Amino acid sequence: MAGTDADAAGIEAIREKYGLRDPIPFQYLRWVGLALRGDLGNSIRTSESVITTVATKLPITIELAFLSLLIAVGIAIPAGVLAAVRRNTFWDMLASGASLGGVSIPNFWLGIMLILFFSVRLGWLPASGFVPIRESPLDNLQRMLMPAFVLGTALAAVLMRQTRNSMIEVMSTDYIRTAYSKGLAGRAVVFRHAIRNSLIPVVTILGLQMGALMSGAVVTEQIFVVPGFGRLIVESVFTRDYPLVQGVVLITASSYVLINLLVDLSYSLLNPRIRIGGMPRES
Amino acid sequence: MSPSTTAPAAVLASAPSAEPSRLARAWRQARHRPASVVGAVVVLLFVATAIGAPWIGGADPMQADWKQVRKAPTLAHPFGTDDLGRDNFARVVWGARISMQAGVFSILLAIAVGVPLGLVAGFYRGAVDQTIMRLTDAWLAFPFLILAIGLVTIMGPSLTNATIAIGLGATPTYIRLTRGLVLATAAEDYVQGARALGAGDLRLMSRHVLPNIASSLLVQATISIPIAIIAEAVLSFLGLGVQPPAPSWGTMLNTAQQFLETAPWMAWWPGLAIFSLTLSFNLAGDGLRDLLDPRDY
Repeated sequence: MAGTDADAAGIEAIREKYGLRDPIPFQYLRWVGLALRGDLGNSIRTSESVITTVATKLPITIELAFLSLLIAVGIAIPAGVLAAVRRNTFWDMLASGASLGGVSIPNFWLGIMLILFFSVRLGWLPASGFVPIRESPLDNLQRMLMPAFVLGTALAAVLMRQTRNSMIEVMSTDYIRTAYSKGLAGRAVVFRHAIRNSLIPVVTILGLQMGALMSGAVVTEQIFVVPGFGRLIVESVFTRDYPLVQGVVLITASSYVLINLLVDLSYSLLNPRIRIGGMPRES
Repeated sequence: MSPSTTAPAAVLASAPSAEPSRLARAWRQARHRPASVVGAVVVLLFVATAIGAPWIGGADPMQADWKQVRKAPTLAHPFGTDDLGRDNFARVVWGARISMQAGVFSILLAIAVGVPLGLVAGFYRGAVDQTIMRLTDAWLAFPFLILAIGLVTIMGPSLTNATIAIGLGATPTYIRLTRGLVLATAAEDYVQGARALGAGDLRLMSRHVLPNIASSLLVQATISIPIAIIAEAVLSFLGLGVQPPAPSWGTMLNTAQQFLETAPWMAWWPGLAIFSLTLSFNLAGDGLRDLLDPRDY
């Protein structure tokens, strides 16, 4: 920071500037105090405030996460429902096999293979880079498609498995049998009665998978050179930009907790039988 | 329901010869799940590769050869060569050793730290439980990989530190799982019975509770080892794990990414190795889960 040939005075000046002479617990408390007031300090490298840096990067990752969520849910729920309704058929095996493959494939390798195939071989999609959505929505989407797909597959695999399992469980309950025996068509039973009730565990998994999504974004953004939050994490680690690392980790952890809170709250929306505070809490 | 649970009388009759019948049951199960057997075999092949790397790899995985830079696969170099002319086959083979090491040791660490904590929390309940579980909650507030990246930042990048970071990242899962299992098991009559017979806490935990939750922990391990293997590859890919020139599948893919147009084979094999290893682990794990934990999925 002071350069390789810094003199003692220069080093002292930097210690003074960043308050490094104070005891570590004191430094920590100072950081927490400022953080609570919304001040996460400034980046050592760019001297821009951490909050501003994060604010410019976060929307990009949120867009990526949103697109991949769309892809994941779009694949997983129909496939899971189909696999459960046509249990032990070819469709079930295909969906389960694809899910197992999706869980096992390392997403950064999938990303590299997609670049190899769609960019290098076929030349259909640009391999990397980023265009802000406000400049050109089409170019933006074109560049986000592969990263979003890569990020979405792993999530889709997990969601599909959960959808299938809980659909199978719901399909064997009494009220589904009642629905059938009062003469409802199979389609109506599945769509009106079964899917909705089988989605609760799926939403839980979705919430838990948000952490995996954030971790996945780190790698995916690295491969496709998307200048988002995930890339910021890696960059800040490599440049040893500690205020930035601290801020980024704090924001990641708190958004993870926040998302899981929202997931908990969404249960009662999906299933009115669950009322918050109405059941004994068991972790 | 599997046929083995239908007739209690038959179970009693075969009780003296419990060992062979368990093996027989495993064999019967295995025949119904060829995919799991294939998975287990492939995992064993990878283990053998990891152990026998010096004999299987052939060439020296770190020996650069400037006359053989980025050559497509040939008979002499079945997986081609990399940007420094090193034999990719040898590097993929040696990479198995690093991946296995990282995958297995990190989860062993997670078990070594997580299981005792979960055991104590679930067994004693009360304030101990509250303290351990609230700390676990805080621990879980960090997404697994982010926590690992953070820990490696503090400790410095290396295989050992990556393994420790992945292990500590996986620990809260084991604390939670163990605690939940212990809560259920400790309430069982046979545990209460052993307590009534005068067994101390340590004996209850080690002789009565732990053996009964071991199979669930083993199943969890088969789920977390492939995750840990991918995590090592990711950390190495980002440059936070194994450092060059050591052959890790993650670092190999990192290098390969720069030569996608001229040397695509550099990207195929390390990735394919990770994919087939994790897929096999998951297949074998599915079979093991059916065998040890016969709930209907």
